[in-house]
Amino acid sequence: MKRSLLILLAALALGAALFAGAYFAAHRASELCCARPADDLNWLQLEFHLSNAELARIRELHEGYLPQCAERCARIAEKKRELDALLGSGTNATGVPVKQAEIAALRAECQSNMLAHFVAVSQAMPPAQGERYLAEMKKFTLGAHEKIEQSMSGDCVHEHAH
Amino acid sequence: MNIEDSKLSGWLRESRATPALPPRFQENVWRRIEATTTPKKSGNWLDALVALILRPRLAFAGVALLLLTGTLLGAQSGVQTARHEAQMRYVAAVAHEFTYRQ
Repeated sequence: MKRSLLILLAALALGAALFAGAYFAAHRASELCCARPADDLNWLQLEFHLSNAELARIRELHEGYLPQCAERCARIAEKKRELDALLGSGTNATGVPVKQAEIAALRAECQSNMLAHFVAVSQAMPPAQGERYLAEMKKFTLGAHEKIEQSMSGDCVHEHAH
Repeated sequence: MNIEDSKLSGWLRESRATPALPPRFQENVWRRIEATTTPKKSGNWLDALVALILRPRLAFAGVALLLLTGTLLGAQSGVQTARHEAQMRYVAAVAHEFTYRQ
């Protein structure tokens, strides 16, 4: 009885080890095989079944958009540093709202440019894929913030109810 | 023992009833003898299960099934992970400022 139990446990352990080994080896292999870090647009072509011509048009839009995006991000980062400096000094409290407004304006500009880019990219795709692309991008960019805002406003309602 | 005694013994032997043996009596006797001499077979389910999984054909089939299932599920999961990472790289590239970071 005891011997049988030991054999059964050893067989189960061996089976689990074999399964886990095969699982992780295959996981790693396919992860390495499918990952193409050289180009961000490969995912787009695979996911939205784009032709080479469509991808070329999107690449053009992408490469035109990225420097502008980087420039706006650099401006936002600069304003954030200025805001941090103001908050750190504690002397010029009146400058803080001004700096916040500048950051918010830059973010709004950045966001509207980002959305315009998404729309332009979606229009370079077949209509059904374009719609799916817009929905995906909205989910990953604006959707996440909406969730946070909704959860926070829910908390506020809860607080005020007391 | 005199003649009378031996006659008496004969009558007594004849008068004793000898019932007929039940059918397959001898075979059943031998079966009982075998059952007492051979080691007792275990009726335990665990022993039966172990005996089953230790059969070479079943053991090889089990190993093959585990390796195949593990490989297929691992490959599927790896493809999904790679796809998700590529998606996140793209989103981070085009929406750096608005990507939700946990």
